[in-house]
Amino acid sequence: MNFLPTPLPAPIERRRALRMLAGLALAPLVARAQSGGMTAVAGLPPAPPLTLIDLDDRKIDLASLRGRIVLVNFWATWCPPCRKEFPSLGRLQKLFPPAKLTVLAVNVGEDADDVFSFAGATNFPVLLDKDSGAMKRWPVKGLPTTYVVDKAGRLALRAVGGRDFDDPVIVAQLKELLK
Amino acid sequence: MFRITLFLLVFAATAVQAQIALTVTPLSREQVTAFYTARGFSAVAIAPYTQACVLSFSLRNDGRTALRLRLADWRAEDGTRFRPLADWDTAWEKDGLPQAARIAFRWAQFPPEQEFDPGDWIMGMTALERRIAGPFRVVARYADEKGSHELLTNAIACAD
Repeated sequence: MNFLPTPLPAPIERRRALRMLAGLALAPLVARAQSGGMTAVAGLPPAPPLTLIDLDDRKIDLASLRGRIVLVNFWATWCPPCRKEFPSLGRLQKLFPPAKLTVLAVNVGEDADDVFSFAGATNFPVLLDKDSGAMKRWPVKGLPTTYVVDKAGRLALRAVGGRDFDDPVIVAQLKELLK
Repeated sequence: MFRITLFLLVFAATAVQAQIALTVTPLSREQVTAFYTARGFSAVAIAPYTQACVLSFSLRNDGRTALRLRLADWRAEDGTRFRPLADWDTAWEKDGLPQAARIAFRWAQFPPEQEFDPGDWIMGMTALERRIAGPFRVVARYADEKGSHELLTNAIACAD
């Protein structure tokens, strides 16, 4: 990925130039790539287990959310498309009552302070997968990857790469799953 | 004019074929070192990676069918391959690097294997097995329902 460099003991002007170059390389791509729908998962396999602690130290178990749709987003703060799509998770949650659709954002490998400094207060749980153990049990090969678990606990939709989750196409797909 | 050409040469190259778009961007040692030292590596620990010519890949499937790829099938035009992720992880484990650093490294890499449905895209870094002097092109293989295909990028060069 084209990650923006964090400060090195280099002249400020040079650091700015590096950031600008990296940003120029990435920005049009990320901006263009966020739209689009999700893909149906063939065979509707059962969702792997997911039990993690959230930023408020609450234990969240995916199995306890059976009967509602759950959008599970795997992400990290250093991943540019993850950062770009993150606000749309909150906008999506606002469109649905949590009893019908719950967003879970699973951060991989970072500590709570780093995650909170980016995420802040959210209207959905942000889970901490510190050893990436949960992520390894899910069919995830890269970040960001997002799955939608249907009311029966099956993997129904998948998106690899950033999306705007309040995009009308995705919202329509989720409403269809709620029927 | 020469300066502009050289800048574009090392900055990025994009190859597009049948609505599959691959962008390759060489990353400087300073950029890569900065990223990983902020995630638990020391500059010394990450040096073998930064010295190996790190490229950032972004691949997007704007087509109508799914495609599959294996990074092991990709190479520079002269045959130089990309060092497997597992090799790096073995080295980091041997060096006693913190788990958080190893996790960040693993997930910041371009996936060794991936299936891209229409609309999917992914980004990630990878390093050549050795630095290549001068310009080179990247040959990227992927497969879809019609068979195996190759994408050939424009010339790029390892960044300093």
